[in-house]
Amino acid sequence: MEKMSRVTTALSSNTISGKTMFCHLDAPANAISVCRDASQVVVAGRNIFKIYTIEEEQFVEKLNLRVGRKPSLNFSCADVMWHQMEENLLATAATNGAVVTWNLGKPSRNKQDQLFTEHKRTVNKVCFHPTEVYMLLSGSQDGLMKCFDLRKKESVSTFSGQSESVRDVQFSMKDFTFAASFENGNVQLWDIRRPDRYERMFTAHTGPVFCCDWHPDDRGWLATGGRDKMVKVWDMTTNRAKEIYCVQTIASVARVKWRPEKRFHLATCSMMVDHNIYVWDIRRPFIPFATFEEHKDVTTGIVWRHQHDPYFLLSGSKDSTLYQHMFKDATRPVDKANPEGLCFGLMGDLAFAAKESLINSDTNRKPYPGGDRRNPLFFFKKTDPTEQFAHVSSALTIYQTGLDSNNMDWFVSTAQRYLLTGKPFAELCDHNAKVARELKRPQVSTTWTMLRIMFSDPANLPAAGLNHSLSKLGSLPLMNSFSLKEMGSGLASESRLERGKGDSRQDNIHLETGNSHISNNNEENEETEGSDGPAECMFGDAELDDDDLYSMDHENQAEEQEYTLPQEGFQLRHEIVDNPSAPEHFQQDKADSPHVSGNEAEVPCLTPIESFSLISISQPLFTHHLPASFFCPIVREMLSYYAEQGDVQMAVSVLIVLGEKIRREIDDLTQEHWYMSYIDMLQRFELWNVSNEVIKLSTCSAITCLNQTSTTLHINCSNCKRPMSSKGWMCDRCHQCASICAVCHHVVKGLFVWCQGCSHGGHLEHIMNWLKSSAHCPAGCGHMCEYT
Amino acid sequence: MFVARSIAADHKDLIHDVSYDFHGRRMATCSSDQSVKVWDKSESGEWLCTASWKTHSGSVWRVTWAHPEFGQVLASCSFDRTAAVWEEIVGESNDKQRGLSHWIKRTTLVDSRTSVTDVKFAPKHMGLMLTTCSADGVVRIYEAPDVMNLSQWSLQHEISCKLSCSCISWNPSSSRAHPSMFAVGSDDSNIASGGKVQIYEYNENTRKYGKVETLMTVTDAVHDIAFAPNLGRSFHVLAIATKDVRIFKLAPMRKESSSTGPSKFEVQIVAQFDNHNSQVWRVSWNITSTLLASSGDDGCVRLWKGKKLVHLQQEHRRLPSVGNRLQCSDRFLIFLRWVHD
Repeated sequence: MEKMSRVTTALSSNTISGKTMFCHLDAPANAISVCRDASQVVVAGRNIFKIYTIEEEQFVEKLNLRVGRKPSLNFSCADVMWHQMEENLLATAATNGAVVTWNLGKPSRNKQDQLFTEHKRTVNKVCFHPTEVYMLLSGSQDGLMKCFDLRKKESVSTFSGQSESVRDVQFSMKDFTFAASFENGNVQLWDIRRPDRYERMFTAHTGPVFCCDWHPDDRGWLATGGRDKMVKVWDMTTNRAKEIYCVQTIASVARVKWRPEKRFHLATCSMMVDHNIYVWDIRRPFIPFATFEEHKDVTTGIVWRHQHDPYFLLSGSKDSTLYQHMFKDATRPVDKANPEGLCFGLMGDLAFAAKESLINSDTNRKPYPGGDRRNPLFFFKKTDPTEQFAHVSSALTIYQTGLDSNNMDWFVSTAQRYLLTGKPFAELCDHNAKVARELKRPQVSTTWTMLRIMFSDPANLPAAGLNHSLSKLGSLPLMNSFSLKEMGSGLASESRLERGKGDSRQDNIHLETGNSHISNNNEENEETEGSDGPAECMFGDAELDDDDLYSMDHENQAEEQEYTLPQEGFQLRHEIVDNPSAPEHFQQDKADSPHVSGNEAEVPCLTPIESFSLISISQPLFTHHLPASFFCPIVREMLSYYAEQGDVQMAVSVLIVLGEKIRREIDDLTQEHWYMSYIDMLQRFELWNVSNEVIKLSTCSAITCLNQTSTTLHINCSNCKRPMSSKGWMCDRCHQCASICAVCHHVVKGLFVWCQGCSHGGHLEHIMNWLKSSAHCPAGCGHMCEYT
Repeated sequence: MFVARSIAADHKDLIHDVSYDFHGRRMATCSSDQSVKVWDKSESGEWLCTASWKTHSGSVWRVTWAHPEFGQVLASCSFDRTAAVWEEIVGESNDKQRGLSHWIKRTTLVDSRTSVTDVKFAPKHMGLMLTTCSADGVVRIYEAPDVMNLSQWSLQHEISCKLSCSCISWNPSSSRAHPSMFAVGSDDSNIASGGKVQIYEYNENTRKYGKVETLMTVTDAVHDIAFAPNLGRSFHVLAIATKDVRIFKLAPMRKESSSTGPSKFEVQIVAQFDNHNSQVWRVSWNITSTLLASSGDDGCVRLWKGKKLVHLQQEHRRLPSVGNRLQCSDRFLIFLRWVHD
């Protein structure tokens, strides 16, 4: 291993070899140090003082320096340093205040060389001068630093920092200055030849500065670490120490060591809580470049194995282990760190944040390496250009949906415009169908229309239906000619009925093509496209009403002409014409419902329509006085379908409009679930009034109680400030009316708005008007009223 | 279709998460620069940064909003092994004039011994509850017994998932038929360690969360996971960001009301898209759960459209790059649809 000491390039990993390995120590380590040729390491602690040789596969204990039956306190080390020029020379800082040097060349078992007992308290740090062989520096808890000449029995000079305890002393690389860090947050710079006064002092941290380290390339950079969890890098070449980098770690910093051959890298370990060793790129101070996570307890000593090799790190820990870490085995937090953020907003807008390099250039796109992100290739790509690690930022973009698609406006409009109560059932359905149609949701519209047909009491129909039909007579021929033209000559009337269950599959395909037609010329609303499916199912399930549906549509024929989507419906019909299986289904349908045929006369209102309509076969199906319950299973299925599709709005609206007609068909839990989901949606869109209406109209006890909580308001009389009695307008005590408008001085009945600061208020309108002209309370109390 | 609006976020390092609030009017971003920023949408649709503050002493992985019923509350989690709860303070009128709001830390949750990788509030109907998951595989569920006091959180459950956790998602269903349930994803990249998505459900009898399902087919590292908004469905839909985008359907099997064992699910993979051709980092559902957005290492956002949440059939439709229109480089959106056959 001797040849290693000559290696001076970053590529020395070729010569120093090894692997991540560890050995158990007998006791917790306090500090470690390597000899110059990186072949041996000394581990020192309160109860341990040993030298290990670092071999290819393992650590081998070479020497136990802790000898004697009852070792003295001089063996209990707070710090240790191996001389970088004299390979037999070690120095330790003892917890009893002694500074001890050890000569490994001694023949006796006890290698202790010299003993300096000048410090009064624990010595925290010892440091050999890098070039002056006999110069040793110590820093102690007693606030003093001493310089020893190893040829003499006593210290040659004492430096008094006039600060608190010294935590670290470090010789600068080339000259005779050294840095000392103190528990009060100061760092001092001394010239070894001038013990009377420090050359410079500055406050580096809030709280103790536990460690400092000079940059090995002699740039005058000093890294310091403190209890404030920060690592700071100072430029000492200028007149005043200038903080040039600052790294925030997650725990107090116990040790800091610059990484050899890597200008911007340093390693840190923590004094408590955190057991990991971090290697930081100081240019990217927020996320560690690499992490070693092997230790189970606090890491107390870290040292790069060789002063020119950046790939091997040795560490000792309170968990009584000594580790050699290979850089390539380090975890890279940044690899796991998510480079992107993505979130859908309420209105369908999309917020997207991504690493700029990901979205700006194709060159940086790395193909996904077959599932294994840790292959060697990947590793080298990552480590070599260290520049890649620095200066990373993200771009934040909001993708807003245009007015047409994906937008949630349809939901809001629908919620606001639907009528759920207050009118006869048929009108509600018609109204809602109209709303849906205007919002370009033909399927939903169709559903409403069908519901109306299914559940309208036939007894009512003559009144409503006949009128409609008659009044719209003018438009009916139009419908017919339109249909005829569209249908072509070959279309038999039964082809309408074949849109039965068996063909729903086929239908979908047609639907798809129909859709793509549409979406080519107008920017198709994604939402309506999505709900094409439901309509198809509806037709399939409710084939009985198919034709009636169209006859009812006549009413709105004129309006429909403006829209493209209803035409789509007609187009579809053609394509189905060719379906050879149609007659069979027709037969089946007839067979399924023989009992409903032959009652034409029962509903006279429809005869006018029939006379215009091409369809005669379906007529009996409609005209028959079917009980509403007949449709319930279908409607139940339909509601479930809408709910499963995510259109809970439709499910709840229908549920409310149909009321008792369907309620018993659906179990309470499901109903409650739908209501809850819909109310939650409404509240997201801040449609409080609609939400409250839905709550009011629901029949689930769990829902109706939602707006019954927190409805009691305890008020004080605005005059005498005492609590109002339980009822009435008058205050019991001062016999004045409590709620008087501060503007018009009349009693407020209805909306009373008041300032929570001064409790004055009045009619909403009055107060609003007042606040337009003045910010002060209209009651004249001088309060600057705030209304939110 | 989409209009892109670039925002100068001015974070000093990577942004790891963006999150809209309940009403979609506010947005929070968090970054490795240890800060969280809150953005408010102005009347004109501009996003303005109204608060920016240092939240942690490490990378902030996630930020999430509480239901507004509990106030303007944010939770963040970080590499520094903590999660924190923040509340906006209103009333400082001079702050308001400058267009800034003030957020104060209500609590720090320090139970984790490793990086806290995700934080999520539980659905509102469960009360004010917060869930964290950490890199050492522990899911912690905290509850604020008094919703008015955001500084008191008690650790209710501690669930060990055995695998390093990267993301968590609550099932948003408020139905009483669905016991509260969450899914955890792991970024453990070792295929041999099995399924990377676990699903836990609350058991009324033991009063504990128990594992009810592991998606064994997901063996690669999972980066994000999202339950679709439930909206009255009887089943649950779960989107997973791993080396591709996957969508699972979890249909609870009917069980007798008397039986109290853990629910059984019929798990079905509905869709699997590898169009990103790289790691997928994020998935997000729109409010009606008709659209799923995903983003991956390819720098693209892709939208996936659900037709019927049962079967799938892919159909590509590539839209012109929005970048052309907006000088936003080569970002583009692809619409894909999974179609019911």
